[in-house]
Amino acid sequence: MTTFSEVTAERQIKSAPLSHVSVEVGHLYLEDYQLGADRLREQFALVTPWLETVRRDWRARVPGGRARVSTCFLIDDCFGRFSTPAEVVPMIRKAADDNGLTIDYLARESACVSADGVPLAKLVADRLVPDPPPDTRGWRRSTSETGWLANGVRSPMPRSGQAMRGPLRWEPPSQNAKRGHSIFVDVELWKDGPDGRVWSCPFLASVWQLLRLGLLRNEGELPVQPVSAGDAFPADWDELPPVVRLNPAATPFSAYTTMSVLSTRFLQVELAVRTILSQVSVDPEVLGQVQERSADERLRLAEQLVDRVSYVFL
Amino acid sequence: MLVFAISDKGGTGRSVTSSNIVYRRALQGQDVCYLDFDFGSPTVGAIFRVSGAARGTLKGGLHRYLEGEIAEPTRIDVWVESDRDALRSKPPGAGQMVLFPGDEGGAEFPTFEGEMVERCVRLFAKLQEQFDLVMVDLSAGRSHAALLALAATARLPKIPCRWLVFHRWTRQHILAADGLVTGTHGLLDAGEAHGHHRALLADRIRFVRTAVLDPGAAELDGLRDTQKTWLSEFDRELRELASRHGVGRTSMLGKVPLDPVLQWREQLITDEDVQGTMIANVETVVAFDELAKKIVDDAAWEGL
Amino acid sequence: MLIMGEVRTGLLQNSAEVPESDLSSVLGLLAGERVRISRRPILHALSPDLLTGVDCLLPSAAQAKIRGVGTVVSRCSITGGRVVQSSSYVRVTKAETGHRLPWSHYLARPGVIEVLGKAAAADLADGFLAFGLPGEHLDVGSISDRLMDTVQAAESLDRASPFRSTQTRLRWVAASGEPGVRFVLGEGVERRVRITYEGEFSTAVLDLCEDLALHDWLLTTLLVIVERARIGAAPRAEVSARLAPAVDALLHLWMPGARIHPSLAPLWESLELAPGFTRQWQSLVERVRDQFAVNTLALLLRETNPV
Ligand SMILES: Nc1ncnc2c1ncn2[C@@H]1O[C@H](COP(=O)(O)OP(=O)(O)OP(=O)(O)O)[C@@H](O)[C@H]1O
Ligand SMILES: [Mg+2]
Repeated sequence: MTTFSEVTAERQIKSAPLSHVSVEVGHLYLEDYQLGADRLREQFALVTPWLETVRRDWRARVPGGRARVSTCFLIDDCFGRFSTPAEVVPMIRKAADDNGLTIDYLARESACVSADGVPLAKLVADRLVPDPPPDTRGWRRSTSETGWLANGVRSPMPRSGQAMRGPLRWEPPSQNAKRGHSIFVDVELWKDGPDGRVWSCPFLASVWQLLRLGLLRNEGELPVQPVSAGDAFPADWDELPPVVRLNPAATPFSAYTTMSVLSTRFLQVELAVRTILSQVSVDPEVLGQVQERSADERLRLAEQLVDRVSYVFL
Repeated sequence: MLVFAISDKGGTGRSVTSSNIVYRRALQGQDVCYLDFDFGSPTVGAIFRVSGAARGTLKGGLHRYLEGEIAEPTRIDVWVESDRDALRSKPPGAGQMVLFPGDEGGAEFPTFEGEMVERCVRLFAKLQEQFDLVMVDLSAGRSHAALLALAATARLPKIPCRWLVFHRWTRQHILAADGLVTGTHGLLDAGEAHGHHRALLADRIRFVRTAVLDPGAAELDGLRDTQKTWLSEFDRELRELASRHGVGRTSMLGKVPLDPVLQWREQLITDEDVQGTMIANVETVVAFDELAKKIVDDAAWEGL
Repeated sequence: MLIMGEVRTGLLQNSAEVPESDLSSVLGLLAGERVRISRRPILHALSPDLLTGVDCLLPSAAQAKIRGVGTVVSRCSITGGRVVQSSSYVRVTKAETGHRLPWSHYLARPGVIEVLGKAAAADLADGFLAFGLPGEHLDVGSISDRLMDTVQAAESLDRASPFRSTQTRLRWVAASGEPGVRFVLGEGVERRVRITYEGEFSTAVLDLCEDLALHDWLLTTLLVIVERARIGAAPRAEVSARLAPAVDALLHLWMPGARIHPSLAPLWESLELAPGFTRQWQSLVERVRDQFAVNTLALLLRETNPV
């Protein structure tokens, strides 16, 4: 038998190294930074016991107690920039050290827009497959045109219908997966303005979750590779790699599951994140890789992606 | 190519003339289609004598398509579905002739939103792929149909499009036709507001005179001399008026003589009507045939 | 299990053949996924797969109310830089529960529609191939249609195709069984195909349907062009002028079975016996070529024996 193949016609998917859980120990906004190092120390003090709980939990779950837990910290550099990495990063490390907490990875939020030339946000936006309300028969106007994503059917708008037709009464929206009553959520994913597209905070947070779950690929390659850092950090945020490995002994950045310890003020954002994540189509081959790896380790992962994402709200 | 048929006043002969142009173009071997965008009174099926669409269709026409209720509007193959024998078989070498009716009971749209423009854009683009000539019969006057057409064509700069303004040969009609194009909220104003380049759009507009009585025509032999003189003088005055208002010869694509058959009935004039039963005038058919050629003849559309 | 899909085929709206370098941007419908391009034996580019969620009644010949939930897979291809195809399909399976599950359940099964309740494959297949009124049932065609529009509207295309043409719609159903294929030519633009294949379903079946649709479209389109040219009735030069675009754009695209998995090749071959696509194509092509030859000859004669 003869075979003929052309490289450009084939498809290959890299697999990601995975920890058991990726714990987000904090998220730094401009406001937080302005409150100073003490504020950070307080925050880490609150997080430390929860991190211990997660470690203990995973040690009990995996054979031999060899739990791979990696920690990460996200700096918001999208919605207003402040200070410099050279100043901020050591301050964060110090505040963590003071609480006996090790931050393995540090990421900047702008990496969720695009990292190393890969348009991650666009990549995720293209993979949204909206949950169809009953009686969706085929094509319908999609998120890609409106920039909004809901968990159900919106309240119908009075249409610009034909003349001499009566107006419509108000009708309630409804959640697709409702249990008796609806909790209708409608999330703005982006806004197109004169300076191009501005991604919303929940959308970028969804990209962040997918990155931590190791589920994104760009042309089959892993999009963001953590870069090891020394002790010196640049004076410009743009020169800081998207994800920096602060701890040389850290287990992989991505993990089977994620846990985020957050202030309750992020509750709404995370509800939006779950609305988005439950409508993202992840490459089945990538999902299969994760499934196989976890089966090899005799772990049972939740079937639904959103169930692999958990939180502690403080 | 997209061609929009519009007139300021109702009853100018817009539908009858544009239908006949489409028919002639099909006989000339081109694939043509006719879209009934006269949303307030979808009746164009009657001219083609398609009984299922005489007052619009019940199977989902342009109204329901534009409102997003159906994925594709109903199309009617005139060569197959017309009730008129003379139309029911496609002559060899003739092109397709397809009708897109409105919905029976459909009405004018009081306004239109972005999604409707989007659907209109998709429809025009798809028809351009299939037909050499896409004739769109718009409602009379400053209508939402016309605005929709302007908005959609502004988003399809790569597709050639032309506008025909129909008017009768009277003082009122000449002034009205000019007003429809250059007046406030006229085609040029509205076109500019929707993203057209004013001068380029103006280059794509031509006038068509309908039901014109030629003072020298043989039928007028029975008139008294005083009547003939008056007609000639008034005709000259109208010509002057027309050229003062930019509706004159240079911006005119053609004129259709008054025809006894069309006076009585809205229909397509077949060669049988002229050569067989001889009820219609040969000049009328010649005028339609000329218009059908001029619509696509770039020389007739060079900048003024 | 039943697989059903619809392929729409049409002429790419561009004056010239679209070069390989532009194909990736025209078909790059999904960031981070490559357009797959193969150059042998003919330039062929394939977009990444796209998904659309549906929850609706499925077509049923017996008018049964069969609800299905899941995702439809679509993809778009360009052959020879000229012909564009947009293809959507689903695999219909029985759901394990009688009610709808969370959406992520379906997202994890791309291209599968789960039927809630009872359904017979034959009834679904007949209903689907009946091309019922749109707007009542699953409408895979509208998804293909939409995708086609998106591709035709690509920035790099000039929308000035060399001739007018009509898109065809080929609906197909496939199930496992004794290998076989049936092709039914409908009145206007509708085509129906039934396939039975051996073993597991793979996209090779889809490739076959797309290849059938492509060649049926080529044949349909060339037939119209030849008919319109009025060979014998119109002056020779005019006939040649009308045939020219077809010669330039279409004649070299005929390559039945070129990208078909060897296991399905016998199915194509059976269609070559009856109705005999290639036979008809060749006789048409010969007619076209003869016209050109005769016209050239006439021109030569006129040059050598000026009147
Ligand atoms: N050349 C002609 N000679 C005589 N009568 C004509 C001629 N052209 C059209 N008519 C007649 O004029 C009347 C109006 O024509 P038509 O319905 O085409 O106008 P319209 O502008 O489309 O009107 P509306 O605005 O109501 O749609 C019809 O009765 C038609 O038969
Ligand atoms: Mg009319």
